Amino acid sequence: MNPQTQSAMPSYTLNCRMAHEAAALERLCQVVRIRGFRIARMNMESVGGKLDIALTLEGSRPIGMLQSQLEKLHTVAEVVLDGGVLQSRSA
Amino acid sequence: MNGAQHILEAFHRHSIDTVFGYPGGCIMPLYDALVDDVGVEHVLCRHEQACALAADGYARASGKLGVCIATSGPGATNLITGVANAHRDSIPMLVITGQVPAGLIGTDAFQETDVLGMSLGIVKHSYLVDNADEIPAILEEAIELAQSGRPGPVWIDIPKDILLTDIAAGAPELIQPQAPQTVDIRDAMTLLRAARKPLLYSGGGVSLAHAEDAFRDFARTSGLPAVATLKGLGNAGKHNPTDMGMLGMHGSRAANRAVDECDLLLVIGARLDDRATGRLDGFAPNAQMIHVDADAAEINKLRPADIALRGDLNAILAAFTAELADAPLAIKEWQTQCRTWHTTSGFHAADNEEPLAPITGPAFIRQLSRIAPDDTVIACDVGQHQMWVAQYYRFDSPRHHLTSGGLGTMGFGLPAAIGAQFTDRNATVINVTGDGSFMMNAQELATIRRYNLPIKLIVLDNQCLGMVRQQQELFYDNRESQINLDDNPDFVAMARAFDIPALRIERTDQIRRGIETILAYNGPMLLHVAIAREENVWPIVKPGASNRDMIDEPRRTTAKKEQVA
Repeated sequence: MNPQTQSAMPSYTLNCRMAHEAAALERLCQVVRIRGFRIARMNMESVGGKLDIALTLEGSRPIGMLQSQLEKLHTVAEVVLDGGVLQSRSA
Repeated sequence: MNGAQHILEAFHRHSIDTVFGYPGGCIMPLYDALVDDVGVEHVLCRHEQACALAADGYARASGKLGVCIATSGPGATNLITGVANAHRDSIPMLVITGQVPAGLIGTDAFQETDVLGMSLGIVKHSYLVDNADEIPAILEEAIELAQSGRPGPVWIDIPKDILLTDIAAGAPELIQPQAPQTVDIRDAMTLLRAARKPLLYSGGGVSLAHAEDAFRDFARTSGLPAVATLKGLGNAGKHNPTDMGMLGMHGSRAANRAVDECDLLLVIGARLDDRATGRLDGFAPNAQMIHVDADAAEINKLRPADIALRGDLNAILAAFTAELADAPLAIKEWQTQCRTWHTTSGFHAADNEEPLAPITGPAFIRQLSRIAPDDTVIACDVGQHQMWVAQYYRFDSPRHHLTSGGLGTMGFGLPAAIGAQFTDRNATVINVTGDGSFMMNAQELATIRRYNLPIKLIVLDNQCLGMVRQQQELFYDNRESQINLDDNPDFVAMARAFDIPALRIERTDQIRRGIETILAYNGPMLLHVAIAREENVWPIVKPGASNRDMIDEPRRTTAKKEQVA
């Protein structure tokens, strides 16, 4: 994938709350990757046995598809899409 | 009570009486506990992959939870294919592996692998237990999770020292399944009543939801022409006059045409898999779609639904049936059209094969379908024979057809048949396999012999990897590459080496006697069926093409009709 292709991708921010279990982050990242998105930025905070994760993602597939796949994860309590598409830069 | 004993205690609480496994170093505490347990039958397979696939077959045939057990390292990695198989087909499965002692994790200890890490993409959920007191609650959660909603495999990896640790915690409360929510079907009914050419499209979700009866009631009451995915075969029952069989890549021209021309597709428990839909932009181009599924993530995944109903299939189908009971659909013309298509371009192998002609896959499977009892369980492998079974065997229930749909796992059939036989030791269970698939898990003949399982093995032997050869012929300019298996062992002698009687047939006039002989035999028996190498599965849709562009069988040449000398 060349940089121009990457920058043309729509970008989204997902806020995810999940249980702080072993491999929780790996599980989240695995789903993001296999469902066709790239993590551009990730911020994680541990709050009382939970993880609050803010993900900035790039990908050409519908973000709703990823959201519903993440919501299926047993350890995920909530996935919120921040304001829809944030940006769609041209090459 | 230590961790290992708690596992057996959970099995008892959940009426789990059969498990498939293979012992080894780090799982020894559980095997030690098994010595004193009389309530759980442990089936010792000869390879961990077969343990997982047998547990899968057990779950498919019974509708219950399949359980498999293995040790750390290679035991766990050998399970991977079987667990992935269960994941792709949403089979409820509990996987338990021993792990190296907690203090050794991450030190590259003997037989250590990162099982939790490896499992992530192939399970519904997985756990690495790091505290013995968590075992009861994790087991309870895992067993419920594997079977609820859209089922799937759940994997618990337990370090050896934790299996040996005494646990203070008592048994947790049973997790009660959630009551199904009411789903409003009024908009869907409006759409259904407005349609002139509605088509029922069902998949594996029907049996996964234990909704076979509700589906059949609905199919009968609605009179909707019905097509099925590979995993949905049998949903409509063997004698349903509106059933058109399988659609898709190797579906019938009739079924694909009905999808092409329908104006409403009612999708029940199916995920619009590419093997079923072909190229998506050419799939059901004139139809609106109502999508009914237990899994919200399947709705709108590949094609937007005009109406989506997410929830318990039993409740939704019952609501549909109730609405139609007093006011049937006015679709007589469409029903007649579909019946005509099914008669003229459904799967109907020729009856009058030359008696001395070589056996063809379709002719054999059609006779098998006629002769075998209605409740026979057919466990297939993967390849041409799998498609011939799907095309020509008439199933009365989806639980009678065990097939690796999503992952397409060669070697699935024999261990799956073993699993199915353990759900009912008196059931007729047949493994229909090919010569390539058979050799992938042939070591399980020893398991059949050990437990004296009366499984019938039918090896359709074309001395090559037929499905690959077929696609090389059709789509790669006939450039055959690494498909030749003409150095296969003598399958009859091989079966006999496991003390399983066997016979070989090669002519059309031997089919009936061959089938009747193995079915009549009181014990396991193998039928080696020699078929022509160049036989193809027809029709076929080129991968990536539209179902509308399916390719029919070219006219047979006289060479193919040559009699066996």
